[in-house]
Parts: sequence; C-alpha cells; structure tokens
Amino acid sequence: MGCELLDGLRVIDLTDDKGSLGGKILADLGADVIRVEPLTGGPTRNVAPFLDGSPGPCTSLFFLAYDAGKRSVTANLDSPDGRALLLDLIAKSDFVLESFPAGYLNSIDLGYETLAQRNPALIQVSISPFGEDGPGRGYRAADIVTWAAGGAMFLMGEPGRPPLEMSIPQARLHSGSEAAVAALIALQARRASGIGQRIVVDMQACVVWTLMNEQAMPIMHGDYLRREGAYLGSKVLRRKLVFKCRDGFVVMMIAGGTTGAGSTTRMVQWMEERGFAADWMKSTNWLGWTPAMFMALNQRDLDENADMEDRLQRFFLTMDKREIFSEGVRRRILLAPVATVSDIAHDEQLDSRRFFVDVPAPANGRSLRMPGAFAKFSRTPIGAPRPAPRIGEHNDEVYCGLLGLSAEKVESLRAQGIV
Amino acid sequence: MARFALEGTHVLDFTWVGVGPITTKYLADNGADVIRIESAHHIDILRVAPPWKDGQPSSINSSQFFASYNTSKKGITLDLAKPEARALALRLLPWADVVAESFTPHVMHNLELDYPILSALKPDLVMLSTCLQGQTGPRAEFAGFGQLLSAISGFYSISGYANDELCPPYGAYTDYVAPRFAACAVLAALEYRRNTGKGQHIDLAQYEAGLQFMSPAIIDYFATGRVAGPGDNRSERYAPHGAYRCRDEDGNERWIAIAVADDAGWRVMLTVLGAAPDDRFASIQSRIERRDELDRFMDPLVRDHPADDLTVALQAAGVSAYPIQSCIDLHRDDNLRAFDFWHWLEHQEMGPSPYEGLQHRMSATPGELRSAAPVMGQHNEEILGGMLGLSRAEIERLQRDEIVF
Repeated sequence: MGCELLDGLRVIDLTDDKGSLGGKILADLGADVIRVEPLTGGPTRNVAPFLDGSPGPCTSLFFLAYDAGKRSVTANLDSPDGRALLLDLIAKSDFVLESFPAGYLNSIDLGYETLAQRNPALIQVSISPFGEDGPGRGYRAADIVTWAAGGAMFLMGEPGRPPLEMSIPQARLHSGSEAAVAALIALQARRASGIGQRIVVDMQACVVWTLMNEQAMPIMHGDYLRREGAYLGSKVLRRKLVFKCRDGFVVMMIAGGTTGAGSTTRMVQWMEERGFAADWMKSTNWLGWTPAMFMALNQRDLDENADMEDRLQRFFLTMDKREIFSEGVRRRILLAPVATVSDIAHDEQLDSRRFFVDVPAPANGRSLRMPGAFAKFSRTPIGAPRPAPRIGEHNDEVYCGLLGLSAEKVESLRAQGIV
Repeated sequence: MARFALEGTHVLDFTWVGVGPITTKYLADNGADVIRIESAHHIDILRVAPPWKDGQPSSINSSQFFASYNTSKKGITLDLAKPEARALALRLLPWADVVAESFTPHVMHNLELDYPILSALKPDLVMLSTCLQGQTGPRAEFAGFGQLLSAISGFYSISGYANDELCPPYGAYTDYVAPRFAACAVLAALEYRRNTGKGQHIDLAQYEAGLQFMSPAIIDYFATGRVAGPGDNRSERYAPHGAYRCRDEDGNERWIAIAVADDAGWRVMLTVLGAAPDDRFASIQSRIERRDELDRFMDPLVRDHPADDLTVALQAAGVSAYPIQSCIDLHRDDNLRAFDFWHWLEHQEMGPSPYEGLQHRMSATPGELRSAAPVMGQHNEEILGGMLGLSRAEIERLQRDEIVF
C-alpha cells in the first residue's frame, strides 16, 4: 500500500540524472510516476558506478536509488507514433518532468505549448543547468560543472590543492528535489485556477543555495572565503573542525555565546577529568566568546585557539568514534563522528526508527536495502518503494490499462519498434 | 488566477535557525501568510551571526544570515515560557493551516504546544516537526548544527582527496538538503488535507532527509560491503573530470571544472586547447585508468587560459566546463543574472542588502521575495492588535511584562 498523499496524481518522468530524484519524491508521496524511456533504456541506467561493478540496464546504483517507485514504458520519440503515445500519456497526467537539452522538446514538436494545448492543467517542470535566458542556456553540464558554477566547489578542498566535489555527485540531487518542490507549489496554484504552468529549475541557483548565505560576504564584509580544508571557514577566526581519533575522524564545533558556551564548558570539564585541559580553558568565560568578539582578536586569543585545537586533537586520539560520540551525546557537547556508510548502516538511531527498507532488485529479485521515508507522516506513511523498473516493464499495463489500447495494437507498435 | 500559488495558506511558524525557516520561506515567497514567533529570551542564533550590515554586528536586526531565510514573513515576539504568551499563540491557532517547529522534541512538549495538544484544538492541522535526528529514538534530543549532522550523515566521509585527507563540504550542508524534503512534505500534506479535510503530524528527521542524497552509496554498502570514501574528483563516468588551474586574475586563483564523457569530446577538447593527440589517453578507459597522469598532462594545457574564455571555447565545442566560481564571481555570473537570481531588498534597519532569489521560476504564478525579513517584533501591533484585537494599551502592558518580548 503506497502513501496516499498524492493519490490520483500522475507524473511523466523524462529526466536524466539532473531530475530523477524529483520523480522519486513524488512517487514516495503516492503519485503514479511513469518513466517514458527510449527502447534501449533511459539515461539514468547508464550512470556509474554499478552494483558489483557490472554495468547493465538495471545495475546503476543511481538508477536503483532514484528510479525506485516508478513504472517504465518505452516509446521511440524519433517516430511520430511514439510521440503520439507520449502525448496520449501526457493528456492523462498532471506533471511532466524533463531535463533535455534546451530546445530538444520543441524540435520534436513536444514543446510546452503543444503539451499544454492537449492538457491545459499540465504542470511541466524543466530542469536546466544554467537557465534558459543566459549565455549558458545550451551548455553541457556534468555534475561537477554545476557544482563549480554554483560556488560550492570553490569552498571545498585544501588551500593550494584543487577544489573538490563529493564522491557522490550532489548538484543533480539538489535540482531533482527542487523540481519536486516546484511541482507541488504549482499544484496548489492549479487548485485555484484549474490551469497548469511551466517551471524552470535552475541547477546553478540550486547549488548557490547551499552556501549558507556566504554570497553576501563579499558585499557586506568586503572579502570572501577561500577553501579551508578541514577548518571551519570564517573571515574572523579560522577554527579546526575535523579532528583525528583512534579509528577515524570526529567533528568538534568550538563555540561560545548562548549556543556554544554550555557545550564548550562541558567539553573542558571532560578534558579536565582526563588531564587534557589547560588552566586558561577553565577560567575562560565562554559565554562572551562570540562572533562579535572575533572582530577584535588579539594574539593571545589566537594562541589560545591554537592551544585548544592542539589539546583537543591529543584528547580525541585517545578514543574511538563510538566512545567520543556516546560520551559527547551524554554530556551534550557539539561534536559528532565522521560517519562512514558502514557506521550509518549500523546506527541504532536509524534502527530504532526502522529507517531502511528492503526492495527487490529489478534484474534478479535480490533484496536491496536502501534509505526509507524522508519523513514520517502520522496519517499517510510513506512505505517501501516498488523496485526500479526493468526497461518497458509496464508497457502492457500502461498502454492497455491506462490508454486503452488493445493487446494487438501494443504488439504491432512493438513490431514496428515504437515501444 | 491568484498572483501567488499559496495565497490564502496560513502558517504559524515556531521554527528557528536554518532548516525550519528555509522551509517556511518556500511557502512565504509563494504567497502564504507566515507569522514567525520569536523571543528575545530565546533568540534565533542567526540574528547574531554574520554577514552583518557594514561587516559589524550592531544589533539583532543587522544579520543578513537571518534576513535571507526569513523574507516574505511577518514576525511577532512572544516569550513562550510564560503561560500568557502561550495563550496568545493558541489564539492564532484557528487561523493556521500549518504549524511548523524545529526544536528538539521536548521543547514543544514542555510548552504544551505539541501535536497532541494542538490537534485536539484543531483536528485538521498540518504540523511539521523537524529536528536533527527525529522525534523518536535514542538520539532524538541531540541538539547541534548542520555541520555535525553532515558528518553524521556521511557527507564528510565522501569529501576529500583520500581517506586521511578529508575536506568537508562548506557549511551546514544538510541544512540545505532537508528543507527541500520538508517543503515537499508540507505541500503534499496540504494537498491531502484539501482533498480529505484531514490534517496530520510530520516528523522530518534532517538526518533521514539528508541520507536521501547518500542513497547510491548506502545501497552499495548493504549489497556489497563497499564503503564509499572521498573521491579526489575521480569519476567512473568522465575523464578528464576535475578542477584545473587557469590564469590568475586580479591576484586571485581561477580554476575551471572540466568533465569529458567520451572520446569524441576528448579529441574536441584537445583541439580547443591546441594540443596534439596523445596515444596514452585515446580511450575513456585509458584516461580513467591513468587519471593522475592525465591530470599532469592537462595542467599545463589549461594553465594560461582565462577561465571564462576557456569555458566559452570548450562549451562552444560541446565540452562540459565552467569556471569554479567564488562568491564574488557569483554576483558577476551572466547566467545567474539572466535568471534574475540576485535581489536587493530594503530592510527596515539594514537598508538595501543582497538576497538570493528563488531556485526555480514559474510561468504563471512566480514566487517572489515579497518583503525583507522582519525586525524583531515588527508586526506585533498588526498581528496582536489587528488579528487578535488587543488594544494598544494591552500590547504595551504585555511588552512591559516581557510577555510580548
């Protein structure tokens, strides 16, 4: 039994990796999401890396994660009959999600005007790397390129070494989830008007939004951050954020003021118990240690900060992640382990909330465990998604069941290479 | 057609800091009436965090960090620790379609403003509760910042040059993941409520929302035991794939990100860079296998080009590339400008300051930064007087008693 929140709404998902998560979210919420793919399979099936390192139409980890919950039909959009099928599907749908290169849909006579003529209530969400009005409207954009364009890459990495992206590309997940937000906002507008609209999601802007408002620093403070490695970047006081411990890394936020003074005081107490605290740390008024104070730091402040980092590092090296975290939680200290996926997989917090779900793999039914609901709804819970679909797995059920084509008709379309 | 998509939707907003306010901002910028409830006794820490007007923390109304996430909202002050303040908040409940809060779970419970109490008074209420790790479980009460949660959620472990050379993503990363899911949750619950008349409680753990962005690695781990690590910009899809240093400009480093998917793209890129074909790198497989050698080959070819010019040339040839933009560069970026991304709003105390705009544009009912963020208690009179009918004298009394505070 799926979630009932978006019961009765249908989504045609034509996206590549830039939008796939959007359809996944709508499917989680109960919409009927149908992927319309080329006969050889859609682009998300080719996104490396692959399960067991073996490429195949149903083994992309990205595909398994973000096309779960969807149905799949095939349609050859190079043929007029294939395009007519897509139009028939769109006539019976509420949303179209797409991320084709600019102009592609117009070039095959499936531009928004055509679609809206057929279905005025249609909400079309187009995901574009750089928007549709600037010099970059036709630009190619691998994920690392939009991560760079949006300013996130500039702030990640060691000074003097290349800027970085995460090893699981992230920009496309921001644009995909933003597409779902936009679709649902437009749905509320449609309730009043009965009329759909077209939405453009700008991937570059989605990445800028992750910068914690750092954008305003050059204008308001006259300077801007550079990448700071494992330090907490700040124009006023550069503080070490990531520390080594016995079996990995931990993160400690050394903070003062109303939000951090309690945590830091308790940290100093813990260090004192183990013989790692300096006298100055015990006598410091952490409540007064605020961003405003950082505006006028003297050499002693900087020396003390360095001493604190040094002592914290030696202290953390005496323990492992688990001990540090459980003690940190008990003492209410602003620290956390740098968890690996292995730590996450065995986390008691997620276990107690029954977060992970088991979903059969599309190719062979092998059980795959994956993240479950992104939110817990008291009345309409999100369940485990249906497995990511095999190519054209739902051709018969959609073309016959939804469009009312006869089995013979579908067979003939198949013979002509249209589905 | 209404000017804004969410006109007529009413939100009583008890959230603070990042995830909660960013979520309700989606609603406010799209026309919902959002009333934020704050108190000087429990100040939103973003009000004292930089960037500040003129680079100086002059008052609790001069933080652009706070202002950015609270556009289009109204703000009142109520010290909810006091029963009379809670009674006033409850008088706004009949008006609200949505209540949002982002404290650790005990806070609303102790204030007697949790879902069981509010839904008894208003059965069709949609209530969003979002905290770091969820309303239940052994770490439900864990309080902290998005930097910590980003480490807990695995993002730090996939960021860096090597396993012992981690370089985390900038800032409170999960604070910018969770609101996308939280907004979807609230909007879907509103849709359901409009269809059925039924409200409900949403427990959104920012941890569980964040992990949606880690899914491929989590599936991989459970299936094969492989633990994802930092990638050093390596890719199994593209080669070259990474950051390459360009010519310095104005004394600052400039870099370009380049990703080449196939052999045709590789040959085109060599032509643009004026380099001869090299047998070592002819196939995508050989380029992926010889990644370090490839980067050493690339570095001098790229080094003397201005990043902007090289981007134009590579993109004209169909190669995926873009300058690695700093925050200054972003304000000059032609594509962001063409998207009309940057906005200057007039704030009551800060005057004009720079705001990020919306990340999407709607053709018929586009959202908009409808007003700058409220200064502390800016709408006390309008809401408490206008909506609740309190007299001016009564409001002054409540201010003196630090109930409206």
